[in-house]
Amino acid sequence: MPQLRDSGTRTLHATEPVPSAEMDGFCRIFGVETEYGVAVTGAEKPVDAGQVAMTMFQPIVSRSRSTNTYLTNGSRLYLDVGSHPEYATAEARDPYKALAQDLAGEHVMRNLALKAQRKLRESHGEHATIHVFKNNVDSAGHAFGCHENYLVRRFVPLEAIEHQLLPFLITRQLYTGAGRMTPDGFQITQRADFLDEAVSSATTRSRPMVNTRDEPHADPDSFRRLHVIIGDSNRSQWATWMKLAVTHLVLCVIEDAFRQGVSSGFEDWAFADPAAANRAVSRFLDMPDAELLLASGESVTALALQRRYYAAVASFVANHREMMDAAFAGEASGWNVANAAVSPTAAILGQWNRVLNALEQGNYDALADCVDWVAKRRIFDALHRRRPNVTFAQLEQLELDYHDIANGRLYSSLADRSQIRQLLTSDEIERAVHEAPQDTRAALRGRFVEAALASGAQFSADWTHLAVTAPERREAVLLDPFNAASTPEFDALMSALQ
Amino acid sequence: MPQQFEQPQSQPQEVHEEDALTAAQTNQQQQSDDQSDVLDSILDDIESTLETNAEEYVNSFVQKGGE
Repeated sequence: MPQLRDSGTRTLHATEPVPSAEMDGFCRIFGVETEYGVAVTGAEKPVDAGQVAMTMFQPIVSRSRSTNTYLTNGSRLYLDVGSHPEYATAEARDPYKALAQDLAGEHVMRNLALKAQRKLRESHGEHATIHVFKNNVDSAGHAFGCHENYLVRRFVPLEAIEHQLLPFLITRQLYTGAGRMTPDGFQITQRADFLDEAVSSATTRSRPMVNTRDEPHADPDSFRRLHVIIGDSNRSQWATWMKLAVTHLVLCVIEDAFRQGVSSGFEDWAFADPAAANRAVSRFLDMPDAELLLASGESVTALALQRRYYAAVASFVANHREMMDAAFAGEASGWNVANAAVSPTAAILGQWNRVLNALEQGNYDALADCVDWVAKRRIFDALHRRRPNVTFAQLEQLELDYHDIANGRLYSSLADRSQIRQLLTSDEIERAVHEAPQDTRAALRGRFVEAALASGAQFSADWTHLAVTAPERREAVLLDPFNAASTPEFDALMSALQ
Repeated sequence: MPQQFEQPQSQPQEVHEEDALTAAQTNQQQQSDDQSDVLDSILDDIESTLETNAEEYVNSFVQKGGE
C-alpha cells in the first residue's frame, strides 16, 4: 500500500500559528505545478536541450538574477533539476482560477520558447524549432509530473486520505487521463506504468501517487498540503478544471466526516493493490469491465467505483450545497460555461454525471470535446483510416505534437475547429498572465513583485515570505493563504519600495 | 437525457444544469455540419507535421530530472 508520512518541517514557520477563519467551511486553496519537457528539431548542428532551456530562462535571469522567480500574477516560474521549465500556479480559491493561472503558465512558457527560438535560428538555421511539451513522458521513458496541491484541514489523518481518496484518484483517470500511445497499445493515462507504491517525502527518488511533504505554506496546526502526483498534464482546459473540481468535492466529504465524527462512506473502497489497479485503469480500452480487487475482498470495475463516489458526493452535496457554493463566492465566471445561474457545485456534479454516463454507454467519442485521451484517440483512428500504413513513430510524434505548447499543431487545430472545449477566452488568459487571483495571499505577492520590479530593488519571495534584500533588509510573512488583505508588515514592506 | 433517470442519485436540478452546460457545445458541434469533414480538415492541418522524420522528432525528446 502506498504510505504517506509527515516529514516534519513545522519549525519552518517561527511566527505564532494563527487559527484560520476558514477552518469551518469548505474553502480550499488549489494549485497546479506543471513540469515541461524541452526538445529541439530541425537544427543544422547538434544542440543540447538543457542549453536551450537555459536560453529560454535568460530573460528571467537578467530580471531576477536567478532561474527561480515569482511573477506579478503571484505564480512561481523556475528551471528545475534536469532543465525542466516549471510553473507553479498562485494560490486559487477555486478550480476555475487555478485553471486560468495554469493556462497563464502555458502562455509564459510559449513566449519564452519563441523568443529563444528566434535566437537559436540565428546560429542553428531557420528550421530550428523548440518544442515545449506539457506531457509526462519522454522518448526514453523518463517520467515527470503535473502535481496538484490541495490545502486540507489537518484534522483529517493521512491514513484516511490514503484509503479514501486514492481509489478515487486512480479511477478519475477515466476522464482526466491524457492518453499515451505505447508499443502495447493505447493507454488512457501517461503515467500509470511509471508510478509505484513506494512513497517518501521526496518525489524524485520514488514514484508515489500522493504525498505530503508537509510544507503546508500555511498555519501547520490547521492545514496540511495534499500533493497529488498521480495526475497527467492536461491540454484540455475542461480536464484541468474537472480534476481539481471533483477532487475538491471528494475531499469535502472526507473532511466533513472527520469534523462531524461520522462515516464518509469511502472507508471500504481502498484497492488491495493500488499500483496494479492504476495500471489496469490505464488499460481501460483493452478491458473496460476489468474487475479490480478491493482490500475488503470485493471486486468492482473502475467505472462502477467512480459511480459510487459520484452517488455519495451527490447525496452529500444535496445537504450542504449552500455552504459548498459559498466557498466559491469569489467566483466571477467560468462555472457557467453556458448558464450564469448555475450553482458551481451543481455544475461540477452535472459534468461528472455526463462523463460517467457516456463512459457507461461506451460512447467515448461524445467526450472528445473535453477528455484528452478521447480527443487524441479519435484523431489517431481518423489518421489510421486515411493512412493505413501510418507508422508507430508517426503516431508517437503526433501525440507529442498534441502536448507541444510552443509549436504544436494538433491541439490548436482542434481548438480552432471547435473540437475541444475552451473554458477561457484568450483575453482572460492574458489577464491571468499579469494579474494574481484577488481573493488569496497571491494578490499581495503579485503587488509586491510588481512594485519590486518597478523600483529595481533586490527582492526575494517564497509562498509565505516576501523580502527586500537591499539596501536594507525588510520582510513580511504571509501565513494565511486565504487572506488577501494587507497587513501592517506588508504595508511597511511596500513603502520601502516607494 | 433519459438514462439519468436510471440513476437514483441524480437530482433533477443537475440534469437541468448539465443540459444548460452542454447546450453551447452542442451548438458549436452543429455548426460543423459533418464531423468527418472536420476530422479531414484537422488531418490536413497536421499533414506537414507527419512529413518530417518522425523517429528523429521523437528521439530528440530526452528529458533528465524532474519531480
